[in-house]
Amino acid sequence: MKWLELLTVAGATLIAAVTVVVLYSLGVRLTAIAADAQQTSPGIKKSFAYVCFGLCSLAVLFGLYLIIPYFSG
Amino acid sequence: MVALVIALALFFDFTNGFHDTANAMATPIATGAIKPKTAVTLAAILNLVGAFLSTEVAKTVSGGIIREGSDGVQITPDIIFAGLMGAILWNMITWLKGLPSSSSHALFGGLIGAAIAGIGFNSINLEGLMQKVILPAIFAPLIAGIVAYVCTRLAYALTSRHDPETGSKLTQKRGGFRTGQIFTSSLVALAHGTNDAQKTMGIITLVLIAAGTQDPGSGPQFWVIAACAFAIAIGTYAGGWRIIRTMGAGLTEVKPAQGFAAETSTASAILASSHLGFALSTTQVASGSVIGSGMGRKGTSVRWSMVGKIALGWLFTLPAAGIVGALTALLVKTGVVGVLIAAVAGTAAVLFMFFYSRKSAVGHHNAIEVEEAGQAVRFAKKKAMARARANAKAKAKTKTDTPVIAEADTDANAEAGANTSKETQR
Repeated sequence: MKWLELLTVAGATLIAAVTVVVLYSLGVRLTAIAADAQQTSPGIKKSFAYVCFGLCSLAVLFGLYLIIPYFSG
Repeated sequence: MVALVIALALFFDFTNGFHDTANAMATPIATGAIKPKTAVTLAAILNLVGAFLSTEVAKTVSGGIIREGSDGVQITPDIIFAGLMGAILWNMITWLKGLPSSSSHALFGGLIGAAIAGIGFNSINLEGLMQKVILPAIFAPLIAGIVAYVCTRLAYALTSRHDPETGSKLTQKRGGFRTGQIFTSSLVALAHGTNDAQKTMGIITLVLIAAGTQDPGSGPQFWVIAACAFAIAIGTYAGGWRIIRTMGAGLTEVKPAQGFAAETSTASAILASSHLGFALSTTQVASGSVIGSGMGRKGTSVRWSMVGKIALGWLFTLPAAGIVGALTALLVKTGVVGVLIAAVAGTAAVLFMFFYSRKSAVGHHNAIEVEEAGQAVRFAKKKAMARARANAKAKAKTKTDTPVIAEADTDANAEAGANTSKETQR
């Protein structure tokens, strides 16, 4: 039985999903903070939020790379 | 026989498409991230693209469950015909009941039943069955569910904001998760296209090779790829609204952050499983994610009676499709008349279920009551007609041998009329 493979899949799933969700949530939180009225430097918070979203889109691109056999062989 | 199997395989592809739209698009539709019509269109396009993207073919349809090759048995078009029949009928029944069930398991079940009836019990590789079907069926929803639970918890913990002095809630902008949902659900749809259309291509290629019209060991011909791609895309576009309703609203109430967590878990589980070697069913992963995310959000309840129904459906997938497959295999064994009887009976059953479903039509307009459902419902009449027409066209394409076009058209008008009366009632 392929228990090891099962564990790998479970682990990879957990790590990948948690990374993406944490990054995106941080992005959402930072946008919310930046939108607050009494914010001293909303620009920086906003740009950090965009960095988070950007990392997420990298993850999506990696997913595309995995899906398209032309790239991943 | 070959033409019949190809037609049947394409119809299976179609049912596969509309059965599995829900996996990718149920949660974004439920949260209002994408409008229902847009969602199925997006899913259809991605499935189409996905089917063309991958040229790597599933070498064996049965995937090591049925002993094939020189030391085993030869899979004949008869067996495949019977197997497809079982898979299609089971897909139609589960769709009618609104149950998300794995199309590939239905296909496996049908083929297993057909092989047992047609060849004998020793044609089945029990260890392969255990490893490819039964264990994944247990672990797919489990893994996806746990991951989705953790993700939902994290998403809510990270975005919850309270004023430190007053303790009142600050703006959380959780609606921002909707944008993310569009991307994650698109990934799921694309992955589905690359995987599931392949199965049908593999079947048709296998039949062509068995019939001697194609060299053994060669890949699928272009028209096969194109036909499968379009069959699955049309199926996806037709949208299995009943299943979307179950996944998007029947299991639990879905909010954007939760939907995003569920979609991300589904996408990662599918990608991880297809690249690290332990194949998991898309449908089972997606259902597990939705359940897990429902448990993760405070203030939501998971409707366990619905979960039980779905689990029961999964339990029956293999034997039920197997029995239909076995019966068809026995019929086919009797000769040409048997094949005809099987084909006619199968068509009749599918048509009956299709028209029976019209009695309580579930469409994009009433699949899920979304926050922004207001504008979606208002144009229901026009859209329902368009959908019915698309449905009729899809039916006509996959079943050119039955004169359903005229029938379905009048039916479409009748349905649209019925819809408007329903609308006013509401």
